[in-house]
Amino acid sequence: MEKRLIKKDALAGIAKKMAEKLHVWAPVKKEDNVLFAPLKKDNEPFFAYLNSKNAPKNVFFPHTETMMKYTRTPNGMVFSSEENKADEAVLFGVRPCDAHSFVLLDKLFDQEKYKDSYYISKRQNTTVISLACVKPPYSSCFCTSVDGEPVSADGADILLTDIGSDYLVEFITSKGEKLASYFGETKADTVAETKKNEIAVKAKDAIKSKIPAHEIKPILDKNFDNPFWNTIHGKCLACGTCTYMCPTCHCFDISDEVKGSDGVRIRSWDSCMFPLFTKETSGHNPRSSQKERWRQRTMHKFKYYVDMFNAIACVGCGRCVMSCPVNIDIRKIVEDISKL
Amino acid sequence: MQNPYIPYPVVVDKIITEVDTKDIKTFRFKFVNPEDEQKYAYIPGQFGELSIYGKGESPIGIASSPTQKGYVEFTVQKAGVVTTALHEMEEGTVMGIRGPLGNSWPLDFLAGKNIVIVGGGFAFTTLRSLINYMIFEDNRKRFGNITIIYGARTPGLLLYKDELAEWGKRTDLNLNVTVDKGDANWKGREGFVPTVCKEVAPSKENAVAVICGPPIMIRFTLPVFFDLGFSKENILTSLEMRMKCGIGKCGRCNVGSKYVCKDGPVFSLAELDKLTPEY
Repeated sequence: MEKRLIKKDALAGIAKKMAEKLHVWAPVKKEDNVLFAPLKKDNEPFFAYLNSKNAPKNVFFPHTETMMKYTRTPNGMVFSSEENKADEAVLFGVRPCDAHSFVLLDKLFDQEKYKDSYYISKRQNTTVISLACVKPPYSSCFCTSVDGEPVSADGADILLTDIGSDYLVEFITSKGEKLASYFGETKADTVAETKKNEIAVKAKDAIKSKIPAHEIKPILDKNFDNPFWNTIHGKCLACGTCTYMCPTCHCFDISDEVKGSDGVRIRSWDSCMFPLFTKETSGHNPRSSQKERWRQRTMHKFKYYVDMFNAIACVGCGRCVMSCPVNIDIRKIVEDISKL
Repeated sequence: MQNPYIPYPVVVDKIITEVDTKDIKTFRFKFVNPEDEQKYAYIPGQFGELSIYGKGESPIGIASSPTQKGYVEFTVQKAGVVTTALHEMEEGTVMGIRGPLGNSWPLDFLAGKNIVIVGGGFAFTTLRSLINYMIFEDNRKRFGNITIIYGARTPGLLLYKDELAEWGKRTDLNLNVTVDKGDANWKGREGFVPTVCKEVAPSKENAVAVICGPPIMIRFTLPVFFDLGFSKENILTSLEMRMKCGIGKCGRCNVGSKYVCKDGPVFSLAELDKLTPEY
């Protein structure tokens, strides 16, 4: 597909121009963090960022969302409306690891039999513009160990790569091409392409943190009862931060809220790290301690997801590594498992 | 795109108190929109999410058989928020049901075989669905001998007493009802389910055992069937786990790589052996 060049200082202007017509999510500074937020008149996109504090999965799978509404009648509460509309949107400037997470989440939410229309409608109506990592943002980045690359169009409709004075703009899908008019007229030449390819190779080499993520599947297949599982959870606070930060964690709770004569059914992120997550009414809990919960989290990412969808449910963003208050490091867990 | 999270509206048509402790009731629902009954075409062994607006949802096995037209039934023990609210409902109330969810008893696998049904206590609901399906006149010839062993702690805790009486009169099935301890009026069998299984000693020949009950009953019943020579492929059961979505997305009911809601709840012992023992 087509490739163009834009001047580096033009990027913020393009995002703001899009925001005049479309719902644009872009990285913006909020106190000390960079977060993806809707671009409005009172905020500025900030593209010189490393990665956003939170994964942008909330664009398709909000932290809390209304599934439907209901109303009190003389016969009790009755269904009143389904809440399932998605505006045309652009997710502008996500890192390739996070764009990769969308491909992984699609496998779960967009299955043949049960389609999650809340996720799918937002996903279908959103154009993803990835901003390649020409230098690895953090020393904890390990995307190359989990099928990712710092300069990658996986999951993106448009890929932007900083090639010095310009961004190379690659339209990856026809959905991305529909936004081509925002990106000027300058066609990219082969020089720009060569430069981008060199940058991609260098960026890949610069990812120094490597884990044997692919090697541990057969080990996990055989080691559900290994005493190793006693060694991870001792210091875990069960805060759930790792799961909330994770771009691929998708577990949720469904609950009802009533106010006056109206009510809503909502879904909110939940976490396998929480004791109540699997606790049954009888009191029985199949994952009764933090040991079982850590085994579940590890197995889910590196075995169960592979069994179900033939893909590792980790994109190597390193958010869980950086955010864990007690420094539990998934890279070390994977490393240790590889030696079992 | 049909949204699998939106329940079908149903009217509570009939409430039957099943047990003398009054904490287990059967709820018969009729669809508010008659066309929804077609969409809710189910197979014995499947479950539904009973949906009470303002309270939440609870996953419950379907207790009626698809051969019973015009309604769908669930037998529910009063336990948590949703089931307590349900137990307080009156006939005529509108609520919702989602589903049908999960796999089912494998009817094609069961066809042509002798079927041994073993149920304990309250875990008899989807077995009742299967029995009523198999003995329905158009279906009966598809199945061989039907042996039923059903036990409860006391006579008052037996479910579906009228139906048990009807089944007892039939000559095309072998019904064995037992209670742990009878009362003054009890003329039937006394004894634990595993013991009765040993006495009845169903033949393993061309037979499948379908076993549902409390964990303690299962633990002592399985060895009896192993001794009778039943293979793990020919022993089926149904699992329960905490659930929310019911469609394999919310992430809590997995046993290893299988979601009980979507890939189960019915598994053979051979299949369970391949899963992690975390349920």
